[in-house]
Parts: sequence; structure tokens; C-alpha cells
Amino acid sequence: MCSHSGVTEPAAAPGPTPPGQTSPGQTRTVENRLEFPYTRTVGPVIGGFLAGLREQRLLGARSRTGRVLVPPLEYDPDTGDPVDPDLVEVGPQGTVTTWTWVAEPKPKHPLDRPFAVALIRPDGADTALVHAVDAGTPEAMHTGMVVTPRWRGEPTGLVTDIEAWEPRR
Amino acid sequence: MAERCAVVGVGQTHFTKRRDDVSMPGLLREAVDRALDDAELTLADIDAVVIGKAPDAFEGIVQPELFLADALGAAGKPLMRVHTAGSVGGSTVLVAAHLVQSRIHRRVLAVAWEKQSEGNAQWGLAGGRSGGIGAGGAFAPWIRAYIQRSQAPEYIGWMVAVKDRLNALKNPYAHLRIADITLEKVKESPMLWDPLRFLESCPSSDGACAVVLTDEAGGRRAPRPPAWIAATAMRSELGQFPGRDPVRPQAGVECSADVYRLAGITDPRRQIDVAELYVPFSWYEPMWLEGHDIAGPGEGWKIVDAGETEMGGAFPVNPSGGVLSSNAIGASGMVRFAEAALQVRGLAGEHQVDGARTALAQAYGGAAQYFALGILRSDPD
Repeated sequence: MCSHSGVTEPAAAPGPTPPGQTSPGQTRTVENRLEFPYTRTVGPVIGGFLAGLREQRLLGARSRTGRVLVPPLEYDPDTGDPVDPDLVEVGPQGTVTTWTWVAEPKPKHPLDRPFAVALIRPDGADTALVHAVDAGTPEAMHTGMVVTPRWRGEPTGLVTDIEAWEPRR
Repeated sequence: MAERCAVVGVGQTHFTKRRDDVSMPGLLREAVDRALDDAELTLADIDAVVIGKAPDAFEGIVQPELFLADALGAAGKPLMRVHTAGSVGGSTVLVAAHLVQSRIHRRVLAVAWEKQSEGNAQWGLAGGRSGGIGAGGAFAPWIRAYIQRSQAPEYIGWMVAVKDRLNALKNPYAHLRIADITLEKVKESPMLWDPLRFLESCPSSDGACAVVLTDEAGGRRAPRPPAWIAATAMRSELGQFPGRDPVRPQAGVECSADVYRLAGITDPRRQIDVAELYVPFSWYEPMWLEGHDIAGPGEGWKIVDAGETEMGGAFPVNPSGGVLSSNAIGASGMVRFAEAALQVRGLAGEHQVDGARTALAQAYGGAAQYFALGILRSDPD
């Protein structure tokens, strides 16, 4: 747990102001940020998926009914049965099953230029994962289009190791 | 007349400091699979799922029931979460039992857990502020008040700490295994919150517990002896109000009076064969003996002193090793009910109390303000 604080000095202080006093027209603020890092144990299935990303491989889990779930779940949501612990490789290319356009990206978005948030079903998978498509313009997007992953240079074992997906050229 | 309710399956994970090898869903599923195996049922046989855990801030997952539905086999089924702070595991069993007793569902799975290693419970308890005093800091003044009121000698707390840890050596699921524990070792362990010493306090554990509850027909055809739920009671009060007695909270007094009345118990100390009480700090054993009128005012510590709460004593308390030996907070209340069920089913293994036919399960939470009690029996009538 860590806490950062810092006193913001008034922009145009006419002179030293004694602590606890504020001159008219001045606003003092104190930034106080509390953070608590939780640890998430991912288990063998999600852990296997994340390890695959580090090797630029996209892995899915096969359910007892034969469906391939990407990203993998530990238990088949239809039946509650555990999935096969041996993950199967899918993709790398996938099909956009639905999408929406983000015209004005915010600081926490994965790209700093307009992009699509899309559900992408990798080849060989029966489900789709949410990710970003770097298509340039909404006119370049359509449901059913084929996209390929653009991997980040230094993998970390997170889903953001795929920087974005691009329309197949 | 309410439907009879039976516990036909009990499952626990091994309680330990960290379960880095499994995810939270995987942890729950271990307990669920063991409970279903015990009942010789599958997830497909379950009509509804009730879950309980302590505050979301402990692991930082809000509304965990949403992402756990897959692992609980709860897709398309009623899934309900109970939240009554530390007593939640007990309350979860009671809510599940009520769903059977009211004939809303025939087979209900109840699951409770905590994966304490994913967060920091002391920080979570402090509501996200630094410098929290922790549960021990909250309870210590009331324990001091109990000692002053009852004139109990200080070694009583040490005795409970030793007894529960020795019992834990007989329970394969218990977290703490302190084979060489002695009164001297407890006495010499560091003082955490006066009068509570390190070895008089519960550990932080990862773990889960699950029970399968059925109606009377399910209980009668269960593959192993069931535990019949003879009576349940829940009470709560505000954590602070003028005139409150936190040493012997009125909600606890009324909760036990209710559960004894419903079970036809007039002399709990004689009519109950074994009790699993929520004792996270040693002194809560004599305090709950008095707080639930098993012993008279100022008499609880004398029962401890006489060795009556030991495994071979007249009123065994926490043969499992109790919360003092395993504390996956959300699960701890359910473990009291699960262990009480194992005792009256005759399935408690090495820590079985001979001839146990009537058991008391108790859980408390918050500022000693939420109570969940149950009487479990070998016989349905």
C-alpha cells in the first residue's frame, strides 16, 4: 500500500501565507492518492494463456463439449465442467464478430488515435475476445472482416502484449 | 410445518497461508467437488447456490458472484450472495437451509471462502485507510472488560490457545500445526493487543468450505449419514450504541435463546455434545460460553480451567482446532457448521467426539454484532 501526497501551491501567491490560512481568492488543494496492490493468482488455465502471450501465441481451452474458449475459462460456463488443462493454439488471425468506433480516445485507452473496440474470434476458436482494432477509419471496419494481431516488442504476459489488431492486408 | 433440512455433503480445502497454485474459482471448486463427492451428487443435481465471503476489499473483487458463476455451475440457476461480515459463513448455511425448509429449492449448494493472500485484511477492515487497529485491536478492550468483570486469571487465554492448536493436529485441513505448543510458549509469544498474545490469535488463511443441503427425502437416501438441521437462528445489533454490552451482546444472548427454544434445549451444557464456536482470539471461548448461556455469568472461564472444553471433556469446544488454527475469514463461519455436521454424522475422523449426536455451530461477525447459530443432530426428530 502506498500513499502519495503533495501540496499544490497557489498559482499567484502574493507572499508567504502562514499554514492554515488562505488569502482571499486562493485555493489550496492537497492531492492524496491511495493505492493498494492486490495479487491475483491466475491458476493453471488463465496462467497458461498469459504464458502463451509472452511467446506471442494465442491459446484457448477446449471444453468437454468440444468448444474452444478464448480467452480460456477454467470451467465451461454452460455445464460447470472443468476445461481440458492442455491448452490449444488458435489464430493468429481472427474474425471481427461485432465492433464499435472510438472516435476520441481517452488517456487510458490502448491507442492514442481513433480505433475500434471489437469482439474478435480467432481462427479455431468458438468464442471471441475483446480487443482493439487499429483500422484508421470506421469505413475500414466491418463485421466479418479478418484481422491479425500486432504484438508489442517486449512481452509481459498480459493481454496488452497484443498492441492492437490490424485489418489483414 | 417447515420441510426438514439435512446436510448431506461437506467439503473443505486445506487451509494454508497462500494457495498460489490455484485461482479463486479453482479454490472454491476444490471445496465444492469434495462436498458433492461426499453427497454423491453432481453440479447438475443442484437447484440453487448461496455464497458468502467477507468484505470485497479483502481481495479487491466487487460482486465476485458474477465471475464465479461458471466455477459454481450456477449458470441459469438462482445464485445468491450473503454478507454478514465474519459470521457470513454461518449465515450462508442458514440462508441455504431456509431455501430448503421453505420448500423453495430441494438441493442447495452453500459455498464460503477467503483468499486472504490476494489482499490485506487489516487494510480492508480499516475501510481503505492506513493505520487500522485490526480485529484484535477492536476486540482487546472487550476482552479486558471480560477479564475484569469475571476475575479470570490470565492463563485461561493461554489454555484455549494450547487446546485448539493440539486439536488442530488431528484435523488434516487445519492451517496451523504447532506440535510443541505449551502454555509457556503462548505466554512468551509477543503481545499484540493487550491481553492478546501472538499465539492467542488466529492466522490469515486461504481456503474454502462447501456444504450440500437437501430436503428430508434427500437426507433419508443420502449415501452417508446426514446431519439434520434441528434449529437455526440469526440476530444482529448495531456495533455501537449507548448502553451496549459488547462483552455479552444482547443479539448473541437472544440468538442462542431462540435456537435452544427451537431445538427443545433447556440445559445447553448437558444437552449439547460438542460445540464449534467462532473463537478467533483465545478469550472468546469463555466469552461465548457465557454470551450464549452455556455457562452462567463469570463461570465460562471456570469450565475452561477445569478442562471441560477439551476433546475428552464434558463440553468439547472446537475439536477441529477452530478459527484459532484456520481462518479463511469468509469460510470460518461455514467451517463451524461443516465441522458440527461431521461430528453428528460420525465422520470427523481423528477429531471425532465419541457419541456426538447434538452439536452447536456458532459464527459471529463485525463488532461482535452479527450472530448465526445452528443445532445439528444425528436424528431427524
